[in-house]
Amino acid sequence: MTAAEGDAAAAAPSARAVAPARQAPTDLTLSFVNEATVRAVAASRGDPDWLLADRLEGLRAFEALPIETNPLYTTYVDLRNAHLAAARPYTGPAAVGRGATAAKLLPAGAAAYAEIVENQVVALVLSAEAREAGVILETLADLQARDPELMRRLVEGGCALPENDKLAQMTRALWSQGLLLHVPDGVRLERPIVLRWAVGAPDTALFSRTIISLGEDAEVSIVEEQVASSARGSASTEAQAFFAGTTEAVVGAGSTLSFAGLQDFSLRQIAFQHRSAVLARGATVRWALAQLGCRVVRSRIDNRLEGDGSTVEQAEIIFGSTDQLFDLTSYTRHVGRDSTGNLLSKGVLADRSRAYMKGLATIEHSAHGTDSFLGEFGMLLSKQSRSVAIPSLEIDQPDCRRVAHASAVGPIDETQLFYLETRGLDPHEARKAIVLGYLEPVVARVPLESAQARLRELLEAKWDASAVSRPTAAAVA
Amino acid sequence: MATSREIVSSEYKYGFHDEVTYLEETKHGLTRETVEEISRIKGEPEWMLEFRLRAYEHFLSRPMPQWGGDLNQIDLDKIVYYRKPSQGEEKSWDDVPDKIKKTFERLGIPEAERKFLSGVGAQYDSEVVYHSVREELTKIGVVFMGTDEGLRQYPELFRKYFATVVPPEDNKFAALNSAVWSGGSFVYVPKGVEVPLPLQAYFRINAENTGQFERTLIIVDEGAKVHYIEGCTAPIYTTDALHAAVVEVIALPGSKVRYTTIQNWSNDVYNLVTKRAHAHAHSTVEWIDANTGSKLTMKYPSIYLRGEGATAEVISVAVAGRGQHQDTGAKAIHLAPNTRSRIISKSISKDGGRTTYRGQLKVAPGATGVVASVRCDALLLDEGSRSDTYPYIDIQEDDTTMTHEATVGKISQDQVFYLMSRGLTENEATNLVVQGFLEVFTKELPMEYAIEFNRLVKLEMEGSLG
Repeated sequence: MTAAEGDAAAAAPSARAVAPARQAPTDLTLSFVNEATVRAVAASRGDPDWLLADRLEGLRAFEALPIETNPLYTTYVDLRNAHLAAARPYTGPAAVGRGATAAKLLPAGAAAYAEIVENQVVALVLSAEAREAGVILETLADLQARDPELMRRLVEGGCALPENDKLAQMTRALWSQGLLLHVPDGVRLERPIVLRWAVGAPDTALFSRTIISLGEDAEVSIVEEQVASSARGSASTEAQAFFAGTTEAVVGAGSTLSFAGLQDFSLRQIAFQHRSAVLARGATVRWALAQLGCRVVRSRIDNRLEGDGSTVEQAEIIFGSTDQLFDLTSYTRHVGRDSTGNLLSKGVLADRSRAYMKGLATIEHSAHGTDSFLGEFGMLLSKQSRSVAIPSLEIDQPDCRRVAHASAVGPIDETQLFYLETRGLDPHEARKAIVLGYLEPVVARVPLESAQARLRELLEAKWDASAVSRPTAAAVA
Repeated sequence: MATSREIVSSEYKYGFHDEVTYLEETKHGLTRETVEEISRIKGEPEWMLEFRLRAYEHFLSRPMPQWGGDLNQIDLDKIVYYRKPSQGEEKSWDDVPDKIKKTFERLGIPEAERKFLSGVGAQYDSEVVYHSVREELTKIGVVFMGTDEGLRQYPELFRKYFATVVPPEDNKFAALNSAVWSGGSFVYVPKGVEVPLPLQAYFRINAENTGQFERTLIIVDEGAKVHYIEGCTAPIYTTDALHAAVVEVIALPGSKVRYTTIQNWSNDVYNLVTKRAHAHAHSTVEWIDANTGSKLTMKYPSIYLRGEGATAEVISVAVAGRGQHQDTGAKAIHLAPNTRSRIISKSISKDGGRTTYRGQLKVAPGATGVVASVRCDALLLDEGSRSDTYPYIDIQEDDTTMTHEATVGKISQDQVFYLMSRGLTENEATNLVVQGFLEVFTKELPMEYAIEFNRLVKLEMEGSLG
């Protein structure tokens, strides 16, 4: 299955043949988002009628919505570095590759494992323990075949995707790849589930949905790794690849979902991410998200604390270099009583990289006893880097335990540097220790030991590769 | 505990209304002819007419803002854009028409003046009718007069700075003000002169459907120092009045300017104000800004730190009661190295009122060594009240030190309980907590204003508590 299929995709003029036209920050260069493509995707997957209708509804919403519906953020949208006019979407359901269910594919310490490379499922395996407990991990195509009713219940109406988000609705219209993870009532998996996406073939576009359903009193931790595939194309080509993926979690009463997301796509990748969680009474969601890769990544998280006593803990780190743009929005809506939202974003920005950290905590009138904290912090390592923080609050209920937000931006703290140098570290090592230490609180939240170690390695490698890490020639000598 | 309904009965303190015969006024609504007529009545130079017309065209082409408060109920066609209550400027209090004088007396202006004020500029509807500048100020070269008068007497100085800080294209209501502006204060403080006492101007709206479009231009020359105070009150009406002012402050190198506002328009006024200062090298600009009145206020005093070593400070307070929305905040735009800014915002929402903090802190490339802080605290006193906070923090220099904190909460019952255990009633205790919450603002006011402001807050609180 290749991206070149999808004959319905409108023939777009190659943007690279001529000098690129001037692009407004909000212009999307995708040319294939139209009804013909939607119908082609649905036909190639053999979608039932309701699903095609659902996709078309998504398309209509996509067409009607502006790129940013929230007037608070309209000045902080910038898609100028996304050049996707030549991108073609993958169509058709991803077949599960031969041998993909072999137990030997399961990484050590994991309860289940799925790996998708471009549009191919190369691994989809559950541990015996997980299978016996009734945990389901399957593609949405398999779910459609196995239990059409359940499929419809989970997917129809866009599940937990934000209705007012143009890009989420685009994914709803065009998704061709999907996973379902279901953890039944009372099942508490000790070992994490690993989901791995490797994409990046030039001029491709992959749309995928991951649906997570936790019953009551269940517990699971997930490590999602997003990395560059080996299909990079020639080094000379500037062609980009496009990925739009969701995580749609419905968390039952008393359940806990820990989700660690590690995004390390190539610098030619453009990614849109939508993550949403709906929490029932006493439920807990812990997001630990690291953003390292992509030329442009635009992410949105929606937490809906519906149940009394529900909790969301969200920690997000950014390590930017070159001219990367990290455009990260999160909405946390407190609806039930005594819910807790603890949200932290931290960005380290080198070279010409930019971070937009946009967080909004909304406390509805019904949300008595809310505890809400929102923190957005930036560390600028170069003169050309830029950090934008918009930590906002909307409060309709005065009876709260705590509502606060904080933000700080600054360079590496000279006193910390001095202290470390007095302890014998050279300035280069000391700077590195401070930067990595700054991000460590999020690293520590990644549930799988090996994933944690991998994230540390990646951060370190990124630090070593960035220009800021190199002391001046004189200092080296 | 009393219900929130009881506060509604507490009558608006300044809600009286005098009948005044107006000498000249334009028809309701805004047309090109209205703009030309205003300029003709005032006998303005040609460039000002052209400026007004350019602003008018921009006003027409610009859509209504879709953010902030609800502006849909403003009927721009019902507004009288200009009326002139008496002829020219009055130099002496005795010459001010009796009716107008009576209104001011009820507001306590002469009393305040006798005590310590350097000068009084009082705006009655659209024209400055009374102005007095103490002799010593005139002697040291300080100019403090109505803006129309400033245009006549100091045409070159006026033209050099007018609309350089807030161009008509800045926003829809700045364009409206630019097209129909009338009155306001014109202040010039010469090099090195420190004005020993605050300059004060009272502004009043006194007629149904009268828009007030005053335009204030303050130029503080090198090394000079001035404190300007405006306080606003307006009578209650059932239809909505519009107040769209523009205030421009130019703080030249080494100068110090403080601009204090106590805004207490009656609860039917739309208060849509653009206030902005340019702070040149090593100057200091301070906005001390309180908003307790109006139906909707949208006001974000701004400071553009243009010169090295400039300092900006904004301390703002907003109190929103029933039917009120205070959408206020502050902006500090750092454009030069080693500039500093501090923003402190305190808001109180009660009886279903709504406060919004909307602020911007920007450090532009090249503005190295910036130190900035933003602090917003909000108190929600009862169910149904609402508070929103939208800070924008955009940093483009790596050696910036910026901190921002915000909290929202209710009155600490521990504090109230403690004070009650020391013999205060619940009402007194709550009042004291609220006054303590606002103290960072109150302590910046001249004593008389601090007393008046505390009295105002107490009045606002009465009935809603205890």
